[in-house]
Amino acid sequence: MSQDEAQTTASDVTTSELLGAVKGFLMDSALPALSGRDQFNARVAANVLGIIDREQQLGPELAALDAAAAQQWLPGDPGPGTAPQRLSRALAAREINADSHFFEYLKQRQLLVAAINNPRYASRKVAEEKWRSES
Amino acid sequence: MSPDQLTALLNAELGESLAGKVPGEQVTQLERLSGGANNETWRLMWGSTSLILRRRPFSADSIDQLEGNILGLSLVDEAAVIQLATSTSVPVPEIHAVFDATHPIGEAFLMGFIAGESIPQKWLVDDTYEVARSRLAFQCGEALGRIHSIDCSKLPPNIGPTTLEKRFAAAQKRLHAFGDISPVMQFGLNWLIDHAPSEASCVLLHGDFRTGNLLVDEQGLAGVLDWELTHQGPAAEDLGYLCANVWRFGQLHQPVGGFGEYDDLIAGYGSTAGWAPDLATIRYWEIFAALSWGLVCQTMGALWHSGNGDVERAAVARRRSEAELDILLLIEEWERA
Repeated sequence: MSQDEAQTTASDVTTSELLGAVKGFLMDSALPALSGRDQFNARVAANVLGIIDREQQLGPELAALDAAAAQQWLPGDPGPGTAPQRLSRALAAREINADSHFFEYLKQRQLLVAAINNPRYASRKVAEEKWRSES
Repeated sequence: MSPDQLTALLNAELGESLAGKVPGEQVTQLERLSGGANNETWRLMWGSTSLILRRRPFSADSIDQLEGNILGLSLVDEAAVIQLATSTSVPVPEIHAVFDATHPIGEAFLMGFIAGESIPQKWLVDDTYEVARSRLAFQCGEALGRIHSIDCSKLPPNIGPTTLEKRFAAAQKRLHAFGDISPVMQFGLNWLIDHAPSEASCVLLHGDFRTGNLLVDEQGLAGVLDWELTHQGPAAEDLGYLCANVWRFGQLHQPVGGFGEYDDLIAGYGSTAGWAPDLATIRYWEIFAALSWGLVCQTMGALWHSGNGDVERAAVARRRSEAELDILLLIEEWERA
């Protein structure tokens, strides 16, 4: 480490750090001062900040995976809606052959969605062990 | 509605409603219990008696306008079904008063308090409930057998028989109404349609018979709560629902509700019903239950968007990912079996 770097003090605060700071306020200051439903909701709110933080990190990877899937299974004019919506509607119309390759896409997609929304959900550990090795 | 407002409304009403049934003069210690993203649950004291108020915090109008609503019965109908269930030996609370949506209190009913533990994170792991857990799968089977024996001709008219075809159509309608945002849920619905069991005769289902809606004491099953999703359908549906991953609260190795084994549940059911569904059909309904949970989460999101509910309801919308994960895990397991 150079002399200049050693004397530098971090001044930028990333989005993730901001979310962490608000979460710390909710859990350490607000929650003990609240009771009943408000205390319960403060805990929920802190968890919601975790979802936002993880979506910031994993969202681009999920969007890329969905876009690639839409291109593979719905080639041609993309039409209206997001990639997941177009895939869902094509599935509903039975226009996609939901073979093992498509199932593989759904599994990899779901690993990301679960990691964003509820990484502590018990089934996620099972899915991670089964599906990560397959990818 | 604030606790003070609700206390005042209850005081104005309950003197007459509870006269001769529950001694007391006024409401004290009213508190809202945690949990319950759909209906509110309040605990209160009337004299020296603990009572529970279930209340729907939004107007019926806002629900009717929400396409794809799956919030279940009115609380008035729910109370009627609980009263029917008291004719069996299934442990249910006594209903003391019922208020319809036009009442100032809002749509609600007041019931007795049953002692017992409802919080899964406590009774699923605490040593105090070890004996209870060992009995509970059989006891749940017994209770479901008894619920399914209730005479459907006595049900409120809103709780009619249905078919799988209608259920699939309703689920598809909801997926479309909620914006077709989940290819996994659509894949799950397609799979359920393609693997549907043959139609079975309809019985009265509890509809939400699961860990979290059961009261447990040291002897086992002490109370069956939350009848708002009661409907008619095939018996295996209730058994599969109880085994759904999402309602095992992390205890995935215990397929019945996170506490028991399939064989005990099936044996308990057979002891009161005289027959029991096969395991494959029960497992089919586990997948159906996963899809249903995803739809409930989507409903919560839609309700929040319509201005009903707090941060919890918004957050529950994201729990759809649990349902999606289970749909894929269970279908993969089924296909590999």
